Amino acid sequence: MSTFAIAQPKTFEKASELVRSGRYTLPQLKGAGLDILDHVKEGLESPDLLVNLAGAREPSRAPVRVEGQTIRIESGATLAQIAESADILRLAPVLAHAVGNAATPAVRHVATAAGNLLQRPRCWYYRNHQFECLKKGGATCFAVEGENRYHAIFGPGPCHIVHPSNLAPALMVCEGQVHVIGGQRASLPVAALFHTPDKGIRSEHNLEPGEVITHITLAARPASGFSAVKEKQSFDWPLAFACASLDIQSGVIRSAKVCAGAVAPVPWPLPAVEAALAGAAADDDAAIMAAAALAARGAKPMTDNAYKVSLLKAVVRRAVVKATGRTPEGLA
Amino acid sequence: MSTLNDPRYVAMPTANRPINNGSSMHDDACRMDGELKVTGKAKYGKDIYPANGLFVAFVRCPFGSAQLVSSDADAARSVAGVVEVEVSRREGNYHGATVGHVVADSPAALRRGLAALNCRWRRRAEIVTAIEQKIDEEPQTTPDTSALLKEEGVLVLRAVYTTQVQTHSSLETHGVSIDHKGDSATVYASTQGTFSVRDGLDEAIALPRSKYEVVCEFVGGGFGSKLGGAGKEGNTAARIAAKYKRPTYLFVNRAEEHLDTGNRPSSRTHVTMAYRKDGTLLGGDIFTWGGVGPNRGGGGVTIPSGRYNLGAVKKTHEDVSLNAGMPRAFRAPGHPQGAFAEELMLDEIAHACGIDPLALRLKAIREDATRSMASLGARLIGWEQRPKTGAQTSIVRRGMGMGIASWGRFPAQVLAEVVINKDGSVVARTGTQDIGTGQRTMVGIVTADGLGVPLAAVSVEIGRSSLPIGPGSGGSVTTVNSAPAFAQAAADAKGQLLGLLARRAGVSEQELSIIAGDIMHGEKKLASWKDACNLLADSITGKGENNQRTVQADKTTGTSSGAQFVDLSVDTETGVVIIHRVVAVQACGRVVSRKLSESQIIGGVIQGISYALHEDRILDRQTGAMVNPNFEWYKIAGPRDMPLIEPVLWTEGGTGPRSLGEPPTVPTAGAIACAIFNAIGTPVRGLPLTPDRVLAALEASANGGRG
Repeated sequence: MSTFAIAQPKTFEKASELVRSGRYTLPQLKGAGLDILDHVKEGLESPDLLVNLAGAREPSRAPVRVEGQTIRIESGATLAQIAESADILRLAPVLAHAVGNAATPAVRHVATAAGNLLQRPRCWYYRNHQFECLKKGGATCFAVEGENRYHAIFGPGPCHIVHPSNLAPALMVCEGQVHVIGGQRASLPVAALFHTPDKGIRSEHNLEPGEVITHITLAARPASGFSAVKEKQSFDWPLAFACASLDIQSGVIRSAKVCAGAVAPVPWPLPAVEAALAGAAADDDAAIMAAAALAARGAKPMTDNAYKVSLLKAVVRRAVVKATGRTPEGLA
Repeated sequence: MSTLNDPRYVAMPTANRPINNGSSMHDDACRMDGELKVTGKAKYGKDIYPANGLFVAFVRCPFGSAQLVSSDADAARSVAGVVEVEVSRREGNYHGATVGHVVADSPAALRRGLAALNCRWRRRAEIVTAIEQKIDEEPQTTPDTSALLKEEGVLVLRAVYTTQVQTHSSLETHGVSIDHKGDSATVYASTQGTFSVRDGLDEAIALPRSKYEVVCEFVGGGFGSKLGGAGKEGNTAARIAAKYKRPTYLFVNRAEEHLDTGNRPSSRTHVTMAYRKDGTLLGGDIFTWGGVGPNRGGGGVTIPSGRYNLGAVKKTHEDVSLNAGMPRAFRAPGHPQGAFAEELMLDEIAHACGIDPLALRLKAIREDATRSMASLGARLIGWEQRPKTGAQTSIVRRGMGMGIASWGRFPAQVLAEVVINKDGSVVARTGTQDIGTGQRTMVGIVTADGLGVPLAAVSVEIGRSSLPIGPGSGGSVTTVNSAPAFAQAAADAKGQLLGLLARRAGVSEQELSIIAGDIMHGEKKLASWKDACNLLADSITGKGENNQRTVQADKTTGTSSGAQFVDLSVDTETGVVIIHRVVAVQACGRVVSRKLSESQIIGGVIQGISYALHEDRILDRQTGAMVNPNFEWYKIAGPRDMPLIEPVLWTEGGTGPRSLGEPPTVPTAGAIACAIFNAIGTPVRGLPLTPDRVLAALEASANGGRG
């Protein structure tokens, strides 16, 4: 482990300036620092400056606030604060459940919203310094001919990570916006925060150096649901999960937003499912199941992860049924 | 002086498992070191950071087979704080194979030195990472079995069962911390054998055995992987300590622990079993393979287990060498693998015959006691509510399964000492280690019980090679052999004390007794414990011994059988398995401590669940690297994966304690597999029983095939 400096700016602007100052070659913004620690320990990264954002937040500002029909989440809000927020549970249950499903109570207690969005993938080749994979400037995605049971079933390649954020797909179905300072823009939709590997392989997000996420906003989506499949019920990454929000009027689904996670290098919207749900009765389980089956459209499983296609259909069905306010049959 | 009033030793009421009430010498005793462990006061070997010490790390091969093309030892030596760099081999044939080491003044200097060494490896393409790679064709049916299969009315089950590699995953990794003082040393070892650490170590540490002591007062798990000498960690550290005459610290990290400290090998079991429609088992062929390290050995699969009468079985076994870390004894070596195949095979035959698998087993079980345990377990799980296999069509399906266990009774030499001091303190002494099973507390309870004093009055000295000899923790031998020796030592000490008191009081020794620490003459209190001990000229030492001869003469103990039952649900849309309940009936003989015994059984079941559903050493098929040498992707069951586990202490048949460490983990995975078969109507024949495997089996059965 090499030595590094640590800065404790009092504002996000100062944090941004530090990153852009050019005085450090590898500055990194730090939320809880969980993922940075993993990277440093494995020798994947050697930051020379950590900009701790903990002091950049206005302490008086509540981590989660409702402003009219909009919910505002501070970038430093912990996953536990989001998962346990009565407002979010009421107005956007998909978000509370998605975040509450992540990691462990201990991790959720310190991990931040922005950190969850910007954490790096968990691919075991990427995380092992011995493998010079595409993400690390190498020439090969080792998952293609190697061990890919937990990798992507969607996406253009050439890298087959799954995006690790639980929060991002939930925000995708709630018109989530990410608010930033330090760049040319004030905000961007969550969908625009990420890019597929073919558009840039070394990172997963579209923020410019020095752009700092200050907060996130989303629209209230009380008819929303989350469903995930994990191998273990304690401390495990989902094999596949789905987030759904519905606009239900007079018992009919007028429109739907559905986004899958853990199946692609980015949060993976499912427009075919959304289109099929529009016009269906909210209690028409056959229609919901038929719509969920469309989630598999375009899937290109690798050698060992075709099972994820089945899982995806199941979690989409379940997330939609939950969004209608009912409990789907199934474990967990 | 009632222990019931001593908050150190009482926490959990017996009422939570009424079936086990009154089963032991001390139902309510908590671990004597529980407080030390939960407060962090207990110091494990890994906690001993020597002042002015050297830190050592191995240089390891990162792939299944690779050649070390270059390394820069000079650059590593020039790093400040680096003391020694040695690269003695230029190739490795498994991920984690050691080719050298670096020694430094601090952990930070050690890391910098390893980085500066900058090893460059060239991978070799030809590697073997799975048993299947080495099986060109399925084995031929033997002539005897072929003849059997031609008989009228004979049916056959042909199936292949596979199990994965499980790593021991001890929370305290392998290693030693050696406090070398030049002409003497203390070796703080994380070991399952205080005394066996010294085997071969004298030379490495360059001291006569009388000049160094092995200390392992607390051990963070071993499960078989810390048996057999000081290991490469201990021997390497000892040589460096001797060379520099300095304290030396070498504990491997989590990745190294997964890679190179042993494992339960993978297995493949091919069965051709003949049976009749009425469920009569006629025999057949069983061919097993074990996936071992670069050197053959250690891959045995215990099937047939001998617990069932399977008819005339021909068994053949072959080890398959893999480019992977080698096996080491792991809690009932060979047994869980074999039981998985054997139990699921029996359920498949029962299903084909249309017979309740419990009924089929009750006919086939060899030991009467096991049969009784199976009947009790079936009653407790509610076996009569077991659904008909394959009858459910809902998304979530319920299932029940069972399996049985057995274990031998192995002798070991134990010298036990119980010291009564003039100040009234009692010390029980044994060099044997406590690997987390509760040996310390067991010794305390037997001593207290033998003397007639409260447990709180006894302190236990344990885990030092300067103490009386005791067994290594292998084969589940510590309690079965130590308890009789300590009972004898306590009786000896008590006899000496009462003899003295009897002479002084002018009564016969037989008229005296000790109850709750009071010296009684008939119904009358003769003296308090303290006053009685104060009459001693000096301390007295009671001695006890157990050895091969006494074990063979002892007819009060026997083997340890058991029966486990599982109730679970399978989500057929996702393949997820949730276990609701496990009933584990286990033969214990004489129980020393109710809670420790329950804990052993619960722990065995937990490890069995984790093995059945999650754990898997995953090797990259191209490079041979283990892709999950951590606790993130090497998945171990956590709190939310735990069912209600109900241990039942079976105390019939014999007055001595029986082995309890290994048998409770033998049948769990098999019972889970049977319950899944019951739920979904198709067997999942490969461990771990992950969602992808469950879904694949369901899909294969929907297509008319069999998994």
